[in-house]
Amino acid sequence: MFGLTPALIRADLRVERGETILVRGPNGAGKSTLLRVIATAISPTFGSGSVLGFDMSRGRDEIRRRVELLGHRTRLYEDLSGRENLRFACVLHGLDTEGIARAVERVGLEDAADDRVRTYSQGMRQRVAVARALLRAPELLLLDEPYAGLDAEAKDVVDQAVVEAQQNGRTVVVATHDLARGGMATRTIRMEGGRVLSEVQVAALAREASR
Amino acid sequence: MMVLRQAAAMAGKDLKLEIRSRLGFGAVLPFAATLLLSFGLSLGPGRSLLAETAPGLLWLAVLFASVLSFRQSYQTESEDGAMEGLLLSAFDRAAIFLGKAVAVAVELLALEVVVLFLVGVMFGLSLAKAPAVLAGAFLLGTLGLSAIGSLFGALTESPRAREAIFPLLVLPLATPVLVAGVKATELAAAGRAGEAGSWLGLLVAFDVTFLSVGSLVFGQLLED
Repeated sequence: MFGLTPALIRADLRVERGETILVRGPNGAGKSTLLRVIATAISPTFGSGSVLGFDMSRGRDEIRRRVELLGHRTRLYEDLSGRENLRFACVLHGLDTEGIARAVERVGLEDAADDRVRTYSQGMRQRVAVARALLRAPELLLLDEPYAGLDAEAKDVVDQAVVEAQQNGRTVVVATHDLARGGMATRTIRMEGGRVLSEVQVAALAREASR
Repeated sequence: MMVLRQAAAMAGKDLKLEIRSRLGFGAVLPFAATLLLSFGLSLGPGRSLLAETAPGLLWLAVLFASVLSFRQSYQTESEDGAMEGLLLSAFDRAAIFLGKAVAVAVELLALEVVVLFLVGVMFGLSLAKAPAVLAGAFLLGTLGLSAIGSLFGALTESPRAREAIFPLLVLPLATPVLVAGVKATELAAAGRAGEAGSWLGLLVAFDVTFLSVGSLVFGQLLED
């Protein structure tokens, strides 16, 4: 709930392991809220659910160990370098720091990895966030508008993370407006007014739009 | 001992950020110096009055400096959603609480060295009669203030709430630290170290209570 306005209403959704789901919908449809609820960043006022077999209210810690949310905000410290941010992320998630150099290389940030994040463009920040996701190799990768404000090269870096997750049998949920970036999805769902629309509702909307 | 290792990592990160940005120290030191200078000038040239009021003014400066330092510390976490990163990690919540408390305590102790020197010069406060008591009072008092600041900083992630609520929560709870700190400083300055034991004991009890309670409930505050 945001004040008295429900952000999600009967958002019933089932995702199978290994699927790549694309979540589409207009602004305010509830896409970001849905992803944040799945990541346990916020708790639903009513309802229940399970993520990777863990109950969302009782198994939050287990879910958080296995899920990475890459959202609008990159969760970086401005006065640390990209590499230092990744090192701290390794401490946070109990990971070995040996993989940092490889992750930095894969997102194409070798030259700027030791500069402070304060000097980075949005695209460079997103690359560090993608490097963090690559380091973690989460069972479920949640991407909330990951292409916003990125150039084509940076968008490819995000896609690379998605493809790698797919190749390793991980589950990916992407909420995006970017119509050109839906190719890798195994299924698309549509949201409107805080609801996940059924296939019948989506077909009806498409018919209406074509008239 | 995983909690302590994680707390050390958290404190190290916060101190590195402070050393690089100097946002906390850069704002807090001029504030504390201005506060002491204004009081010094308003109280006039009488050396005995200045020396009598010095412990109280000193601790007031430390208290307000701690509020500013914690606001800065938590602002860094909320700038780009870093606090959410902490929340969504498997990091021990007690380690976040302890790490932030230790980092701000170190910053405040560095500030106190400068402020003590200023007060010694400006107010004629004697610092050499019972240095161990003086050091103990500042160490324990700073730890207590840091525990309260670290605990309630988590409640005020939004900048508006931080401005409005944080001082309201912290200042009343800090009263025992302020009273015990002032009394122990007065006794140390007067060379009556033997009488300061009960005030130092109060500070120890306060620190143990707030560090324990904070470690236990911080996770819950963060989730809510």
